[in-house]
Amino acid sequence: MFAAPFDYARPKTLDEALSLLSKHGDEARLLAGGHSLIPAMKLRLAQPRLVVDIGRLDGLRQIEARDGRLAIGAMVTHAEIAASRTLADLCPLLVEVASAIGDLQVRNKGTIGGSLVHADPAGDWPAAILALDAEIEIAGPQGRRTVTAGAFFTGILETAVKPGEILCEIRVTAAAASAYVKTEQKASGFALCGVAAVVDATARRVRVGITGVAPVPYRAAAVERALEGQALAEGSLAAAAGQAAAGVTPLADIHASADYRAHLARVNTARALQRAASR
Amino acid sequence: MKLTGTYRLAAPPARVFAALVDPDVLQRCIEGAERLVRTADDQYDVHLRLGIGTVKGAYVGTVRLTDQQPPDRFTLHVEGKGAPGFVRGSARIQLTAAGAGTVAICDADGQVGGVVSAVGSRLLDATARMLMDRFFERLGAEVR
Repeated sequence: MFAAPFDYARPKTLDEALSLLSKHGDEARLLAGGHSLIPAMKLRLAQPRLVVDIGRLDGLRQIEARDGRLAIGAMVTHAEIAASRTLADLCPLLVEVASAIGDLQVRNKGTIGGSLVHADPAGDWPAAILALDAEIEIAGPQGRRTVTAGAFFTGILETAVKPGEILCEIRVTAAAASAYVKTEQKASGFALCGVAAVVDATARRVRVGITGVAPVPYRAAAVERALEGQALAEGSLAAAAGQAAAGVTPLADIHASADYRAHLARVNTARALQRAASR
Repeated sequence: MKLTGTYRLAAPPARVFAALVDPDVLQRCIEGAERLVRTADDQYDVHLRLGIGTVKGAYVGTVRLTDQQPPDRFTLHVEGKGAPGFVRGSARIQLTAAGAGTVAICDADGQVGGVVSAVGSRLLDATARMLMDRFFERLGAEVR
């Protein structure tokens, strides 16, 4: 498997990268960790004329606690997140999800920004990003804009990031009581169903993000509504989790039927909520 | 791969039918269709430029309409080929009046082959459904 011939550019600044994208339009593709793009290029499913490697850009590789919020650069790898002390203290959900991704090679090279932009409906990050109600900062020729997690995923392999734009940063609020429960496809590690839950016992509120089940990852709105203002007892968590696939048309493939995915959504939601509530 | 979908459209069946057999409307409703060129009665060459995430490709194919029974039903046949693979399929579309509008039932059966099916099988069904949903969403906007 060899990629079709392509040109390679490694800009040093974000502006340089943006101007390469605007000059070359859809002939150019951004290279982050390369764990989705490179295999697609080798299979010649993707044949960009120009690969713009953003691996050396300044300012996309940091994890910072800032104004009570956490900012994670788009080019931070899964492994760096899994090993981050700052995140382990303030937002352990990100550490838990990063540790559950693929295998060591994928975690060492793959990046949170690259994974989010690729938007595989069975990727792990969407569940966490939704449960944390993250903000996603996107740079484009007209400057920067911020999109909420709920508006980020727009279709299969499609996001709010438009051609010519670059995802720069993911911002979340610290959350202690959280958990990620995934049933994975054994060979690939992709989620047949991954559920991230964040519990706020004081405000009596939960947020649940689900990946792998529907064509587009989603917040389990019916579960969240059922628990709004409720004391988070084991019985009420389990009952609410029964709504985890309400109104959703689940994916079906050789690995799991639609009914099985819906079942996993309910079971994993109950487990994630209980685990989060106990933390 | 079999797909069935039911869609509500805010126009009577006669209007929906007329839109569905109009190449200009088809071109606007089929995701990625750049050009539809008539080659015979009810037959068109179609040029598609379709990008689903990383998989971007140009496809050339034909669209054919058969079994036309206005304003109730017809069958749409699509065949296309490009670097990522090929697609071949047909969709039976049945239109039924419902109040002032129409309920369209689309019964599609298709095959996808080549590299895209070998490595993308996990997402093929869901992607096909997404494209079908978008087709009817745009059609709904066309006939409104």
